[in-house]
Parts: sequence; C-alpha cells; structure tokens
Amino acid sequence: MTISREKKVAYGVLVGPAVLIYAAVIIFPILFSLAAGFTQWNGLSTPQFVGLDNYVRMFTDPVFRLGLRNNLLIVAVSVFGQIPFGFALAYIIYRRMVRGHAFFETMIFLPITISAIVVAKLWNQIFSPRGLFTELMRIITENDRFVLTIFESRTFAIVPILFVILWMYTGIYMIIFLANLQRIDPGVIEAAIIDGAREHQILLRVVLPQMVNVVFTTAVFAIAGSLKSFDLIFAMTGGGPAHYTEVIAIYMYLNTFKYYNYGFGSAISMMIVFLSLGLITAVQAVFRKLEARYV
Amino acid sequence: MSDLTVGAARNRDVIAWKLFATVFMVFFTFLTLAPLIWLFYSSLKPHPEIVRNVFALPKEFHIRNFTRAWEIGSLGLYTINSVIYTATATLITVFLALGAGYGFAKFGFRISHYLYTFFILGLLVTAHSVLVPLFILETRLGIDDTRLGVILPYVAFGLPFLIYLSTTYIRGIPDSLEEVARIDGASYLKIFWHVIRPISAPAVATMTIFSFVNNWNEFVFVFVLTSKQELRSLPVGVNAFAGGMSRDYGLLFAALVIATVPMILFYMFFHEQLKKGFAAGAIKE
Amino acid sequence: MLHKQILVAVAIVTLIGSFAFAGGQQDAAEDDGVITLEVLHYLDLADNTSSGNFEELVDAFHAANPDIRLEFDYLFNEPYHNKLQSSAIAGQLPDAVFLWPGKRTGEVTSSGAVKDLSPWVDGVRDEFAPAALSPQGPNGEIWELPEQVTATHVMFANERLLDELGLEFPRTLEELLEQGEIIREAGYIPIAMDNADGWQMQSTLLSALVERTAGREWFDRAVEGEASFSDPEFVSAVEVIQTLHEEEMFSPGINQASYGEALTDFVTEEAVYLIDGGWRTSNLTGEMTEDQYEYVSYNVFPELPNEQGQAGSTAIVAGTGFGMNAELEGEMADAAWEWIYFFAGPEGSRIKAEQGWLPAVDIELPDDSPELTLKLADFLNSTPGGYVIDAVMDAEGMGVLHPLLQEMMFGNVTPQEVGNRYEEWVENNDSGRS
Repeated sequence: MTISREKKVAYGVLVGPAVLIYAAVIIFPILFSLAAGFTQWNGLSTPQFVGLDNYVRMFTDPVFRLGLRNNLLIVAVSVFGQIPFGFALAYIIYRRMVRGHAFFETMIFLPITISAIVVAKLWNQIFSPRGLFTELMRIITENDRFVLTIFESRTFAIVPILFVILWMYTGIYMIIFLANLQRIDPGVIEAAIIDGAREHQILLRVVLPQMVNVVFTTAVFAIAGSLKSFDLIFAMTGGGPAHYTEVIAIYMYLNTFKYYNYGFGSAISMMIVFLSLGLITAVQAVFRKLEARYV
Repeated sequence: MSDLTVGAARNRDVIAWKLFATVFMVFFTFLTLAPLIWLFYSSLKPHPEIVRNVFALPKEFHIRNFTRAWEIGSLGLYTINSVIYTATATLITVFLALGAGYGFAKFGFRISHYLYTFFILGLLVTAHSVLVPLFILETRLGIDDTRLGVILPYVAFGLPFLIYLSTTYIRGIPDSLEEVARIDGASYLKIFWHVIRPISAPAVATMTIFSFVNNWNEFVFVFVLTSKQELRSLPVGVNAFAGGMSRDYGLLFAALVIATVPMILFYMFFHEQLKKGFAAGAIKE
Repeated sequence: MLHKQILVAVAIVTLIGSFAFAGGQQDAAEDDGVITLEVLHYLDLADNTSSGNFEELVDAFHAANPDIRLEFDYLFNEPYHNKLQSSAIAGQLPDAVFLWPGKRTGEVTSSGAVKDLSPWVDGVRDEFAPAALSPQGPNGEIWELPEQVTATHVMFANERLLDELGLEFPRTLEELLEQGEIIREAGYIPIAMDNADGWQMQSTLLSALVERTAGREWFDRAVEGEASFSDPEFVSAVEVIQTLHEEEMFSPGINQASYGEALTDFVTEEAVYLIDGGWRTSNLTGEMTEDQYEYVSYNVFPELPNEQGQAGSTAIVAGTGFGMNAELEGEMADAAWEWIYFFAGPEGSRIKAEQGWLPAVDIELPDDSPELTLKLADFLNSTPGGYVIDAVMDAEGMGVLHPLLQEMMFGNVTPQEVGNRYEEWVENNDSGRS
C-alpha cells in the first residue's frame, strides 16, 4: 500500500509539471480554437454560432484547395525526397564510400541549425529578379531580362519552395538514418560480403529490412512537419504571388490575423490537426502491412 | 562463379559505387554550402557593389555592414535575449521531459499511455493556432510582455518531441538497474536523480541540442507576445531587416550572418553528441 | 566528462535564468511627474532615411515636452497589423498607436478601442488642409490625426534619361507604349514598379486609372451597389495594366519584386519612370544626390483613350497618423494628444518638411525645403484626385483583388474576369453593400 502511494506521488511529481504547462499553453487554447471554429467572430465583438459553416466554406474555397494541394506536395517531397536522399547520403557515409565523410556529414546537417527566416530571406534573395540564381541564368541564357517565371505558374510556383525545403531538412534525416545504420551489427555485413553479396544486395537484403521502423517514424515526423509548414514559406513568398505558394497554415494566418475571421481561422487550424491525424493513421496502416511482409 | 570473377565483379562494383557516391555527395554538399558561402562573403560588400556584381568577391572587407547592422538592429540586446530565452526554456523543458519520460516509461500506470499520446498530438499543433487564445490568456494573467510569457510556450511546445525522445530512451534502460536501487531502499525520486539521469546523458544531450536549436530560431511567440524592445530576440530582430522597405542588402546579409553564426558554432561543438543521442534514442518502437 | 559539462551548463543557466524573471515588468505609467506613454509605431528600422528622420522628430518632442516620456515599439508591414490587432483584442492597446484613415485598420478603429479625437481636433481644425480631416468614423469621428495628405500615385520621370533618348514625357497612353521599345533597346527599364505584395498595383496605379476611366461619382455608386465592378468603367482601367504588362513596360519580374526594388532601380537610373506613392519623396530626397533632384519630375499617368472620369488625376487619401487608446483619461489623454498633435501638426510638420514630407497642415513651405518636397507640393496643388480603392473598400476584398491583378498579369485571367470576380466578392461580402 505504501509503495503504491509513494509511487503515485513520485509519478505526480515527475509527470505533473509537464502536464500542467502543456495543458495551459496548448490544450486550453486548442479547445478554445475547437469551440471558436464553430463561430463567426472578429475578435472584438461577440461570437455568433454558425455550426459547420466554416468548414463548408473552407472546402468550397479554391484558395484552400490550392493550399491543401501545396501541402500535399510538400508532404510528398518530404517523404519521397528528403527521406530517400537522407538515407542515400547516410548509406554512403556509413559504407565509407567517400573519404572525408565527417566533413560531409557536418556540412549537410548545417542548414537545419539556421533559422527558417534566415533561410527564407537568403533563398528569396537568390531567386529574386536581382539575385544570384537570376544573374547566373542571365549569363547562361544570354537574356538580360530573364526572371524566374516559375513563380507565375499556378501549377509550378511551389517548386522553388520544395527545393528549399529539401535543402533545409534533408540533413536531419541523414543524421537519423546514419545513427541507426551504425547500430546494425557489422558482423552481418561482413558475412554478407564474404558470401559474395554485391553492394545493392547488401542494401536491399540486409540493411533496408532493419530500417523499416526508422522509415516509419521519420515519415510520421515528415508529415506532421509538412502540414504545419509556415515560417519558411511565409518569409519567402508570403504565400504569393496570387496565392500560388500558399499552404494551409498561411491560409489560416491570413484569415485570422489579416481579415480578423477568428472563427474561420480556428476552424482551419483544427483542420490541420485532423488532416495530420488522418495521414498519420494511413501511414501507420501501410507500415503495419509492410512490417508483416518483410520483417 | 569462381572466386576470381566474384572478386573482380565486386571490385568493379566498389569502384562504380564509390564514383557515384562521391559525385552525389560532392554535389549535395556543394549545393548546401554554396549559398552560405555566398552569403558570408556578400555580407562584406557594400550594397551597391552587391547589386552591381553579384558573384564577385569583396574588394575589401566592408565591416561597416556588421557594425551598423549590430547597432541599428540592436542585435547585441537581441542576442542576449535569445540566449536567455533559449537557455532557460531548454533547461526547464529537458528537465521536465526527462521526468515525464521516466514516469511514462517505467511506472506502468495505464494513464501513461493516454498522457503520452496527449503529448505526441502536440506535434501536430502550429504556433498560430494557439496564438490568439494564448495571448488573451497571458494578458488576463498579466504575464504578457514578460520573459516568462515567452518561456512557457517554448517549454510547452518543446515537450512533445523531448518527451518522445526521453520515453523511448528510458524504455531501453534495463529494469534491473532500477530494481537494484529499489531493493536498496531508494525512493523513486532518488532513483530518478541518481540512476536514470546519469544514464540518460546521451538522450539529455540530444534533447538539449534539439531544444536549443528550435528555441533559438523561434520567431512567432516572441514576436506576438512581447512588444518591448528590451525583450525581443534575434530572429525577430533579423525579420525587421527583411521588412518591406529595407533595401540595403549589405546590412541585411550582415544581420543574417550574425543571426546564423552562433548556431553554427554551437553545432560545430556539439554535433557528435547529437548523433550519439539519436542512436541511443533507440528509434525502434 | 559530459556529466560535468551538463553541471556547468546548469549552473550558468540558472544564473541567467534568475535574470529571466527580473526583466520586463509592466512599467508604472506615472513616475514622479513624468508621464510615460507606450507608443506603437509603424517604422522599418532598417530604412535609414525613415528611422533617422523619426529619431529627429522624437528628440524634438522630448526637448519640447520634458514632462512626457515616450516609449516606442516599432513594427512594420504584416507584423505591425498583427500586433495592433492582437493588442486590441486582448484589451491591451498601447497608449498611442499608428493608424490608417480607411479600412486598413478599420476593425480596430470601429471597435471602440480607439478614442475619438474630435474634441481636441476642433480646436486646431483650421490649421489643417480640409481634405485631411474628412470624417473617419460613421458619426464623423476622427480616429487618427493624419500627418499628410497622400497622393498614392505619382509617375516620377527621369528627365535626364528622357533627353538622352530624345523623348519627352508622353501625353497619351499610346505615346507611352511607343516609347517602350526605344527605352528597352537602350538597356533601361521603362516603368519601375514592384508588386510582390500585390497592393502596389492597386494603390499606386489602378486607383488613379479608375479615377480616369470611371470617376468619383461612379465609384460612390459602386460602393453602394448601384454600379458594378464588372462595368466597363472599371474593367477598362484594369485593361490598361494588362496592356502595359504585355508590352513589357514594367520591370521584369514585377510580381516577385519586393517593395523598394523599384525605388532602387529609379535611384540608380536604370529606369526612366517610376510609379509609386507621393510618400516616396522623402526616400528619394535621402537617396538621390542634389544634382539628381533637378531632373526628377512629378507627373501623372498619361491620358487614357476613354476617360469618363477626371482627366489628369491621381488618387488621394488622408494620410496615416497617430490615435490614442480609448481608455486614456485626464492627464494621460492630454499627454497622448500632445504627441499626436506634435507629430501631425505644425511643429512636427516643419521638421518633416525639411526631411521631404508634405504635411497635412497648411504651412508655408520654407523656400529652402528640399527640392523634391516643393515639387511634390506643386504636384498636389495642381492635381485632382480620386479615391484610393483600399481606403473605401473592405480590406478582405483586397485579398481578392490583388491576387486577381497578379493572375491577370500572369495571363491566367482576363481583365473582364478580374472585374467580374471582384464584383462577385464585393456583392456577397463587402460591408458597403449590406
């Protein structure tokens, strides 16, 4: 009995403060947002209950759909770009295929330590009509009036941003994979080599199966991060021009802070949470299947 | 296949892979470094020179960019604030997360499962969605426009990921260690301090670094929750440079460099720990 | 080893942490006779001209009012509006805030968080140009005291370059378009403009064009719903922009250029014309050399083919200025008024005129005012003006109009569609139509 009580108290002390702060700063506001999502409210007057109107409005707004599409593209780039690249880089380093691997490792991880605002301003500069990239292209194409017109395309305006996201975050996946690769028993690899296995066989038969869990976890993080994506894109293009590079988080920001539609803005932030949950659940299902087959 | 042919095949293999790997690696690294190198040397040029000659190396070191950026942007003050916010928030978050991790990983209470999920869901929440209610809450409590008002959200938002790391790691600590201490009559809290904490050093290192980097680069909270100049942090200061009418690229680049260097230095010193932490973090759920 | 590192870190952090709670307490508003006011100001600290000028102004105020102490917080662009709004909602508006006359800060001013300045203004009404003091609130309230009357459209021209190219300022749109080829051949940019944020095109060009093709009378009807934005009056103005863009009259990449790039192009004499607001005068004064002042001319856009509104017009709006928190009373309120009046009134205006601002106050511009300020004054005195669209239409609607204009320039939407879709939004959402 005493043990149980002591245990409970200890638990309270260990877990309590974290829960408290978390509840106050995150849970309460989220519940508030959830409730506000059902109202029409400009922050200054009294809120009016409107039921699911905000959600309906969201889905019928072409700007929201464009934002959603952009977000999904970012998720795709993160999951199918950053993760494979990160893995490839980690694998190369792990298998000692290049010299000076410590150097490479350090360098590739570097962009993550830089604030998103700085990265955004830097790349904005590079892509701007008077920037590094544009100047380079002007020399190459011998066209003095060259500008990066990809931003003017509704379909492709998001591409430079995808590139910058890749640039910034691949390093983190590299490190995660590298750390996990190094936990593989080297003996297994050696045995495979002695058995005459070629590199690609080592990769596919020995290494990858052990990495499935890691891939799953990184995928989850990638999805969560992609749907929340705000700082970088906002600082780079603000969602423009003409909403072409907008993502849901920016859409929410504009509606909340620029147009004072708190009810609507709250509904949008709830939508981000729901979408994340949905996607992650889907990914979990996929991985359960994969695990069952290969591990 | 005879040994010889296998050997030869492997050799070709190795060379091919090495070539591919080197090219890939160099390309990626170049892509990573080039913009940064450009940023650094461009920050030493005065604005007209930057505009006229984008690629050129600086003719002389235009240190004025830095001194002026530092002054105009009050970057000294902001750096101190950044340090305060980051260090304090990191310390608190790591400590709380470690404690919670121990609670979740080792105590076996059913509620842990729910609380843990509770925290993990926090990863899906964006800062903006809580911003307005949080602001109102803080004003009612009177802690808006104070350092505490910034640190608390930093802690709250840092907890999900750090708790994930600590819980995963502590799960990997053998139960036997704990049992031995219990037999010796130690209380749970004592075990936490004397057993769990030291053993968790790699995880703590990872958590600290992660938290540090994230908090240092944080922007939105300081920005909305504080108005006094004395309380502003570095990213907010840099953002002022990137404002609509700011066209002195020299100053802008210098500010960007100033904002970036501390983190780079930090990373240079601690990246070994970071790696170890991830490995020990045993991402094998 | 790591253990020790952590201990040391803990020690340092604890020390620093103890300072964390020390700073940032709310200040006492009154302190041995000196009244302290918290002021939120719209200023880009990195803009040397503006920040230097403002410092001068503040110093002068403090010198003249030793019993009032101003504490400033500076923000710019979106961040400024965020902060303004969040503060208003939380009931934490600073003592004095920088406001817009029209819809830009409309939510805050119409919410009751800002005090009506009329009682104070009545006493100094005749010092100001009448246009500046047009009613801002539904009952004639004045929420902020404008520091100037702003022309949002000025077509600056570099006369030296025109001479060099053997050209003159065009009288009609046709002539302007013909000049385009010549200017580009010579390696210059015809019209420098930047539109990454979207508002520039609407505020500094479209508004003036609409005044030409449609006129105030039409606009008044459109606000109420008796005329529509899909009418040819509005659409033909939009078409002009389309034409200019198709004929490559603008800077390349105009919709990616952030605000200020066009100014740079003009100052470095890479562009022949610059279309921007009259407020740019102070920047031009600060960045150009004295010789350059001589050959900068202030013009309006050339004549359009189908003008039903006012010919030769620009777009005018009462300027921005400071307002005060509605909760201020007594001494605090008077002190706040002191600052508000100083900023926009004769004292501040005199200082600002020297810096290149054209005040709302009727003051005799000293002859040694900067040349460009004099040119701006002449321009304003001789040029009629129409509405600035974002001053009379809802801010949220601008979020629809601006992207539409950009999309049109990208070739994804026609001018008529711009009119139609904007009209659709206005019909369903704009507060003027309810």
